Amino acid sequence: MTKIWIVLRSEFVRRVTSKWFIATTVLAPVVLLALMVLPPVVGMMASENNEWTVAVVDETDVLGTRLAERDAPRFTFVPVDTPADSVRAAVLSGRFDGYLVLRDGMLEGDAGAAYYSVDGGGFSLGRRLAELVNDEVTRYRLDAQDVPLDVRAIMEDRISVDLLKLTDGGSAPDSAAASSAIGLGMGFVIYFTMFLYGAYVMHGVMEEKQSRVLEVVVSSVRPFELLMGKVLGIGAMGLLQMATWIVFVVGLALSAGGIASVFLDPSDFNLPDTASAAELVDAANISFPHVAPDLVAWFLLFFLGGYLLYASLFAAIGSLVDNQQDAQGLMFPVTILIIIPLLFITVLIENPHSLLSVVLSMVPFFSPILMVVRLATTSVPFWQVLLSYTLLCAAFVLSIWICARIYRIGILMYGKKPTYRDLARWLRHS
Amino acid sequence: MGQLVVERVVKRYGPLLAVDDVSFEAAPGRIMGLLGPNGAGKTSTIRMITHITAPDDGRILYEGRPVGRWSQERLGYLPEERGLYRRMTVGEQLLYLAELKGVAREDARRKMARWLERFEATDWVGRKTEELSKGMQQKIQFIATLLHDPTLLILDEPFGGLDPINAELLREVIWELRDDGRCILFASHRMEQVEQLCDDICLISNGRIVLDGSLREIKRRFARNTVILEFEGGSDAMDDMEARGDVRVISRSHNRLEMMLSDGTSPRSVLDYALSHVDEIRKFEVTEPPLSEIFMSSVRKGN
Repeated sequence: MTKIWIVLRSEFVRRVTSKWFIATTVLAPVVLLALMVLPPVVGMMASENNEWTVAVVDETDVLGTRLAERDAPRFTFVPVDTPADSVRAAVLSGRFDGYLVLRDGMLEGDAGAAYYSVDGGGFSLGRRLAELVNDEVTRYRLDAQDVPLDVRAIMEDRISVDLLKLTDGGSAPDSAAASSAIGLGMGFVIYFTMFLYGAYVMHGVMEEKQSRVLEVVVSSVRPFELLMGKVLGIGAMGLLQMATWIVFVVGLALSAGGIASVFLDPSDFNLPDTASAAELVDAANISFPHVAPDLVAWFLLFFLGGYLLYASLFAAIGSLVDNQQDAQGLMFPVTILIIIPLLFITVLIENPHSLLSVVLSMVPFFSPILMVVRLATTSVPFWQVLLSYTLLCAAFVLSIWICARIYRIGILMYGKKPTYRDLARWLRHS
Repeated sequence: MGQLVVERVVKRYGPLLAVDDVSFEAAPGRIMGLLGPNGAGKTSTIRMITHITAPDDGRILYEGRPVGRWSQERLGYLPEERGLYRRMTVGEQLLYLAELKGVAREDARRKMARWLERFEATDWVGRKTEELSKGMQQKIQFIATLLHDPTLLILDEPFGGLDPINAELLREVIWELRDDGRCILFASHRMEQVEQLCDDICLISNGRIVLDGSLREIKRRFARNTVILEFEGGSDAMDDMEARGDVRVISRSHNRLEMMLSDGTSPRSVLDYALSHVDEIRKFEVTEPPLSEIFMSSVRKGN
């Protein structure tokens, strides 16, 4: 036991004081924040600069003019009378971004429109154009029927349905989108860290084996103690890193209101200039998802269980190979196991109570990611969480037991790459 | 300090019989040479003594008790294929390895300072291992073997990569350790080192012992059937005798021949022949065969 502790402490201290650790601990949240903030900002900037001038070839004789008269943001419609060939040439020469053909029969719903451009236009342009054309056709047809204004108002009304969650004290808004985002984020963090720390363990084992320091070390400690010390030491490093990130995220969430209020103008919400940040945020109807402490606790517990399960597999792989290339081949099945849950995350978020979701969140190799996703998105019956975690614990104990046996023999073998049959023999005979 | 007893030990790796009924004893205050060609079973035997692996049959006793975790703390092991943590500093490394042997930190620090000084390596304490030359690393590895004051030492090719000055320093230390009454196993392929250092030898081939006993007694067992001849003129002088099968040349250089006599060839007949075929004789010596010859003929006979 004391030897496990000595190995653990050495692994922990050595890694935590490395430049690499300090850099990733500090940089990861910065990069994550940049990834979250940059795409919308860049997207906004990119689309704001876009304006389209569209030539309209109108076979219906009415729709083109109505479109041109309409005040459509970012679109300028120019009805043209010239033959198709010259419109085509005008678009190719760059005078128009594209041309829209409004086919005869559209007004009766018998035909569609077509948009021609050099670059195809892109997804959001197509959607906006379709909205505009549809809306105009609808209006024209309603006009033709002399539909009164109050009927049109009825048609345009959009009734919202609020999703509320029943709680002990009553009900609370079910911020489904926010909790899905949290679930997704937590799932990815667990995926990423299990992989990263697992790879640390594997490379640590490989380094000891390749540098041949191992033979001396195992004449002082039992291979099992060395393995556990290494796995737990790197796990402790991982927990420290996670804890740092959590503190960072919590700090960010607590100060998010203050940060957001800087960008808000009190007069927009009929508030005096002296309004507090909290009042402002409230008035702007911005809500920040609340992350329950027990979710954070389960997140850490499932991370630990998943880490122990995969780290033991990675350690066994590291003990079997002499170089990185051989490691790739053996890592493949383990990599697949880690990736499979990622494919199911969206299915689980959309339908957290389906049989498939419940079963997948019980499977030990998947539960560290999928149960956490479910816990974040919905309220999972306690027995399911407990069963899932018990299975995970049983799996990592078994995995450590098996992998320690492989490790014990693997670390002393050089040159020959063992086959799966060799591995089975080692397990039987030890 | 007690002795090491290896008793009828057997080790199999699947179908391969790596160690086949090996027994020997190593006494405190003596150096035992563990010899054998590559793949003979030396490393397998050493790993069982160090309790890294367990014998399939037979037993290994140190001070009368089966080896185990307790004996690992008394054991200093310098393997043939050895290394250090590349990114750790010399100091961290030595303290860590000593702690794993159960030495308290402060105690380890004191001993480390003493040994680093002895090996003129005090300045390297803060350097990373990957910055050290091979010879420096050798010395650090040797210090790591000694920090916990082991009573049983297993040194596999300890001189590899050392220059003559450092080799001499290491030899002195090994002799001191022996004179302290420690039990030392020395494995090497360099027969001149074995002859210089060892009191006893044990020669393993194909997993079996083919020769063992005290070095002096073994050499005596092999008759004085080797002739060393130094001469001038006529370097091909002895070719005829060799062609007739009377002698076998085991070492030949300009003006010097080392020959083993075949049965029925007397040293005198070689001298007579030489007198009439070379210009001048500077040295003629009848002696025991060198250890390398004993090694080779024993291995050949054992197979």
